[in-house]
Amino acid sequence: MATSVRPDLEDVFRREYSRVVGVAARVLGSRDQAEDVAQEVFLSFGRSRVPAGEAGGWLSVAAAHTALNLIRSGRRRASREETVAAADTAVVPDVADTVLTREERSRVRAALATLPRTQAVALVLRHSGLSYAEVAAALDLSPGSIGTTVRRAEAALREELNRHASSD
Amino acid sequence: MRHPTEGVLRRLVDEPAGVSDADRAHVAGCDTCLRALDEIRADAELVGAALATSGSSAVDTDAAWARFSTAPASAPAPVFRPAPTAAPARWRTAVRRPAVAALGATVLLAGAGVAAANDWLPIFQAEQIDPIAVTSADLVQIPDLSAYGDLQVVREPEPEQVADAAAAEERTGLAVPEVGELPEGVTGDPTYQAAGVLEATFTFSAAKAAQAAAAEGEVLPPTPAGLDGSRLRLQAGPGVAAMWAQPTGVPTLVVARVGAPTVASSGVPFETVRDHLLSLPGLPENVAQQLRGLAADAGTLPLPVPAELVTSSTADVDGAEATVLTSRDGLFAGVVWVEDGVMTGVAGTLSADELLQVARGLR
Repeated sequence: MATSVRPDLEDVFRREYSRVVGVAARVLGSRDQAEDVAQEVFLSFGRSRVPAGEAGGWLSVAAAHTALNLIRSGRRRASREETVAAADTAVVPDVADTVLTREERSRVRAALATLPRTQAVALVLRHSGLSYAEVAAALDLSPGSIGTTVRRAEAALREELNRHASSD
Repeated sequence: MRHPTEGVLRRLVDEPAGVSDADRAHVAGCDTCLRALDEIRADAELVGAALATSGSSAVDTDAAWARFSTAPASAPAPVFRPAPTAAPARWRTAVRRPAVAALGATVLLAGAGVAAANDWLPIFQAEQIDPIAVTSADLVQIPDLSAYGDLQVVREPEPEQVADAAAAEERTGLAVPEVGELPEGVTGDPTYQAAGVLEATFTFSAAKAAQAAAAEGEVLPPTPAGLDGSRLRLQAGPGVAAMWAQPTGVPTLVVARVGAPTVASSGVPFETVRDHLLSLPGLPENVAQQLRGLAADAGTLPLPVPAELVTSSTADVDGAEATVLTSRDGLFAGVVWVEDGVMTGVAGTLSADELLQVARGLR
């Protein structure tokens, strides 16, 4: 381990790791790959001079970007989880009455990578449990605009799902 | 009072306390807003469900920290290949740490790798590099050279890891650039890679090209005299590289030197080949435009740069004009330049300034 990395790295790592993995996993749909992304993100963080107070937001944004880039570049590998899930069951029951097929999930993820980047990142951070104020601070946006940004992203993704459903 | 915006309604779904009392009171008594709220809530739940991850086991932070801080020095197989390979898919599938490694490798390989990836581009001796901005859509559209003739790889570069800089030099005849002072955070000993020369020949086939164009529903421009059956010999390499990695195996700094690509023609002048290739159907107009705009002396290597992800600029490295690439998220950067027929690149998870300092300090 490099000794010249920032001294607060371990503290920040232990505090933020699980959230960073959560953000990447929402984008990628795979815990394994999300942990790889998290390792990369902390590596970059360790070499950065991001103030400790902004670490949480910076890490979440970096995780979302890195994961979105993976999807966008098409370099995401088919994960073990997906293969297992495919063999297991095609339909996974979710919250409320929402039932999505595996194919619909991957369609949403693919569409996510084509959204304007700020929309995609705001959406992922919000669904990863960051508050509106936290999302706003991390993206340097006004808190009042987050609802609109997230709403636009969700409407676009729902349209993407509908578009395919009606063309089937 | 007018209806609150959709953004306000969206926040009402997650954080009612963040919405003003007046807005909440309005929504509670407004059918229009309540209907809109239902739809917004349904969309939010749908997307939330789509993004939910299977497997709810808790993240093991201790194990993750152990991996991060004490991973053995024997990192995963280096994904970087210092010389072009015949098919981009080959190194892509070798990528283990996708984001960092792929970009690091792309930055360095693009220059040389372009000869392999878009075989028809560099029909010349590379003397300088100019980035051309492409989108991923453009890349998909760029015609595959094999549709216009026969590409035969005569010599494979066979990249391999070697014990040290001396072994790399012995195999390739190229000295591994020595880094003067390592940037902060880059530590340990590098691993060394060496690769031989990649050589391929390409034989134009007017018949094959016409067939490819017809399949696309396009009409092929007339083939210039002498082009049908003429041959080009593409060469790149050899190459050497030194790579520093974090204990996790993620490369932090890669310094590489590669024999810049050259193309020899069996008699057809460069301009004829270039103009014909640029006129082929399927090449996106904005890409063709940029290629046409490059220096006409057959010495400029077009470096395709994914405009959505990377920004490019130029800087001086000891008198040579270098191309500086920086990923838009600021996590990676690379510097590449050509001097005396040798292309040198420095890339890593560092800032462009740090990399330029490394580049200027190379011995």
